[in-house]
Amino acid sequence: MDAETKRRQLAAAIARVAGGDRAALRLVYAATSAKLFGVCLRILGDRSEAEDVLQEVYLTVWRKAARFDESVASPITWLVAITRNRAIDRLRSGAVARASVPIEAAGDIADAGPSAIERLEASDEHTRLDGCLEELETRQRAAIRAAVLDGLTYDELARRSEVPLGTMKSWIRRGLMKLRACLER
Amino acid sequence: MNDDDTIGSGEHGDHAAAEYVLGVLSAAERRAAELRIEREPAFAAEVAFWEARLVGLADQVAPVTPPAEVWRRIEATLATPAPFVARAGLLQSLAFWRICAIGAAAVAAASLAALIYVAELPRAAAPLLARLDQPSGQPEFLAAANPADGSVTVVPAALLTGQQQRSYELWVIPPGGPPHSLGLVDPERPVKVVVPPELLPHVSAGSTLAITLEPPGGSPTGKPTGPVIANGKLASL
Repeated sequence: MDAETKRRQLAAAIARVAGGDRAALRLVYAATSAKLFGVCLRILGDRSEAEDVLQEVYLTVWRKAARFDESVASPITWLVAITRNRAIDRLRSGAVARASVPIEAAGDIADAGPSAIERLEASDEHTRLDGCLEELETRQRAAIRAAVLDGLTYDELARRSEVPLGTMKSWIRRGLMKLRACLER
Repeated sequence: MNDDDTIGSGEHGDHAAAEYVLGVLSAAERRAAELRIEREPAFAAEVAFWEARLVGLADQVAPVTPPAEVWRRIEATLATPAPFVARAGLLQSLAFWRICAIGAAAVAAASLAALIYVAELPRAAAPLLARLDQPSGQPEFLAAANPADGSVTVVPAALLTGQQQRSYELWVIPPGGPPHSLGLVDPERPVKVVVPPELLPHVSAGSTLAITLEPPGGSPTGKPTGPVIANGKLASL
């Protein structure tokens, strides 16, 4: 099945969840729970916390499916955004004694080419993003990647890279401005 | 040099959206950003722009199959009955509603009186009521919309037979607008449907409520696909 077919099926299942269809939620879960659990685990670094957040994610999907708008986001983008927000909120609540992900792990991920990893969805936007990230300075790219993948605050990113907080903010904000200019070209 | 102030201090809004999506903000800053998403369409669009692009990076995280226990917990939570169903003994009784369905107008009035109770009238916003009739004019369902808690309660008013292989799907149709699904209802007992916030404005006087027969689990397309078995207009009391 190609990515476009998967995307359409997922969007149709979410539309049915909006109508209160539990079987459709099961379909969404079957298609996406491994991906979303991976995202939870990466951010939270703790299995039991990740399981709790994953449960919250699908209950949020159940309640908010009617808010899903395909003209704004693809189904997987919408689901991953919910997952990251839930996981980051859990981190910021202080409930999680973050099992700190080793610094090298970020390096490994950053070095792995996207082709090496299973992609749920190959879109033009992702290809563009990869290209635009390549245009950034190495430290800007690494900081942005670490923020997205690990859910770190500015403060944590600064400490991890052993630079002052202001410097880290500057790297990331300059990186975002360049990224935006490139993405809009 | 203070990068914190020199970079983008005049356009902090742009950064806040991207920073929210990146996940670098504190809990308080995240709540502030979420308020702006609800209130400022331009800010929400900016967040959507960055989500569509940055979330793609998460594709680089390896999938991990969660334990089966997680799905069981989700299912158990969904299976917990709505509070209304748990306490509305009389309204749950099919016999009660069959009796109600025997008469015509007088019975409908009695049912509506019962529904006022269901709709918890003392709340701030006034409930709306609709009698959903079959094409023949026979009342088939009664519906009470309670804007105070964003719910619509649908009660069968007639004995329905057959159609066990089909689902009964409730739709709200604003005047001149397309139908929006409000979820599934049950021909044998009252069901309280929670209306998604963005559909609440449609649940108002003059809108039509309709019930269609759909494949098990509801319309696969998000639009009605089966016959309309009952419909009626919402009116304030």
